[in-house]
Amino acid sequence: MNDLHTQALGEKPMPKYIRRSLLALSLDDAKLAEKAFSAWADAIILDFARKQDRNWLQDVKARMPAAIHAAGKAGAEVFVRIQSDCAAAEMDAAVFDGITGVILKGVTCPADVVSSAQHLSALEAARGIRGGTLEIDVEADTAGAVWHALEIARASERFGAFLINEPELCANLGMQCAPTLDFDPLEYIKSQLITVATSVGGQALGMSYPLGLTGENASDVVVRQAVKRARDTGFKGAVCAHASWVKFCNEGFRPTADEAAYYVKVIEVFAEGIKRGMASVPIDGKMIDVPVDLRAKLYLKWANRAQARDEAKAAAHKKQEG
Amino acid sequence: MAGNMNNRRSWMIVPAHDAAVVAAASGAKPDVVVLDLEYTVPPKAKEAARAGLGTIIKKLGDRQATVFARIDRDTRWADVRAAMHRGIRGIIFPGPDAPEEVAELGELIGELERERGVEPGATELVLMLESARGFWNAAAIAQASPRVTALGVGRIDLTMRLGPVPQDEFRLYRFLMTRALVAARMLGKQPLGALWRPDSRGGVAGLAGTAKAAKEARLMGFTGCVCATAEQVAPVNEGFAS
Repeated sequence: MNDLHTQALGEKPMPKYIRRSLLALSLDDAKLAEKAFSAWADAIILDFARKQDRNWLQDVKARMPAAIHAAGKAGAEVFVRIQSDCAAAEMDAAVFDGITGVILKGVTCPADVVSSAQHLSALEAARGIRGGTLEIDVEADTAGAVWHALEIARASERFGAFLINEPELCANLGMQCAPTLDFDPLEYIKSQLITVATSVGGQALGMSYPLGLTGENASDVVVRQAVKRARDTGFKGAVCAHASWVKFCNEGFRPTADEAAYYVKVIEVFAEGIKRGMASVPIDGKMIDVPVDLRAKLYLKWANRAQARDEAKAAAHKKQEG
Repeated sequence: MAGNMNNRRSWMIVPAHDAAVVAAASGAKPDVVVLDLEYTVPPKAKEAARAGLGTIIKKLGDRQATVFARIDRDTRWADVRAAMHRGIRGIIFPGPDAPEEVAELGELIGELERERGVEPGATELVLMLESARGFWNAAAIAQASPRVTALGVGRIDLTMRLGPVPQDEFRLYRFLMTRALVAARMLGKQPLGALWRPDSRGGVAGLAGTAKAAKEARLMGFTGCVCATAEQVAPVNEGFAS
């Protein structure tokens, strides 16, 4: 893989962000700060209930800055989840300094992203946030978001990721969310979203088959397997249905310690071979040549970045505890 | 339209030239009787099939059947003219490639509605995607006429156009079904298709193969499919029941 080539296309040869685990927490949760702190998630998604009360958005606006601060104390990135059909009003209430970006739900066409990006620009200017820094991630939960995925991803430079909400997407497509098929009916949709997101320099976050996997019915073994399949599919992280999934995502969406050790060995042995004038060298019966060496360097960099992310979170915890 | 989805699970194809087969087929009580002017009609019988459509549609209408006609892409104009009688619910257009083709057919149907005293705008169009181009243009094609109420996945022509007849499972089929499903759901059209496997392909599938094809398609999000024999009606209805 040639870095210059991929950069010219906007593609990134490794995850753009180390965002392996995203945990959704409610603004109304009295234990929000405590849960965010103990979760060890790479990112927290702040949700808020849409209420009948006419002043509910003012209420969200009043409480959101403190919630953002609390959610980010343990070193997690913070996002707010916004409903696309009333994005401007909800962003007015929820976008403040301290968030990494917004996650748009219910997107059906590129215009939804364009209008949200314009509104974010105005909010950045009004609220002292550096211009152009807030990210827009799109939760793929409609047929329209899937069909128009490429146009949606290209609609704004703020686009960062597709998040696949399997239950809601299945419901929108009339799929039955039950693990009774011998294949993943979302397979091609996932492939499309991963490819599209990567093509614009972003990434895709999602879990993998079996459908219907929830925080209630998943054993540790099942979640680990699902994370492995998700990583092998091309996802770089996932929204966790339950706080207990965070550790599996943090461990699973990165090279393992054994893989990292192997990559170090590959790089060292190949460098020695080059010094001796060889174009390829064997390790454990496998042929190591330039592409394998490049891949090893790439994966090792990914492992190191994930390690750095974990250390940063640990430091944030220590600071709070101290 | 979208609200009718669960009432239209089994779309049974019957050769329009054979009145006895049509009568027997309607006895199987499929949700939709599809009078075929395409593959099940021998070339020599096409004219007779067209000429007899008015009578058959009336008879089926008297029995409260929901009647569609499947036209031949190559002779679609003549076929639509032959099929437009009081009692016809819609036209199945196999193999549309471009929006203009659908728009043109929709306009022709409109003219014939006016000419023959059929309620304006009442005649539906069902599109069966059968080509790579058709699948790529699926959303634009489905939006080319307000008459379009369903989007389906063909099979025989697909396998001929996109690959040889598969020796094993036609693996591209699941991708094509997904694409048709997404377009249909996005636009509020009924998604039609069944996951026919190599040993249970469409017209020759037995009860178990048909039941599996319908059930798996339902899990994938489809709500009905075309079938070819009276025996297939019950497993199709059952597979798409919920």
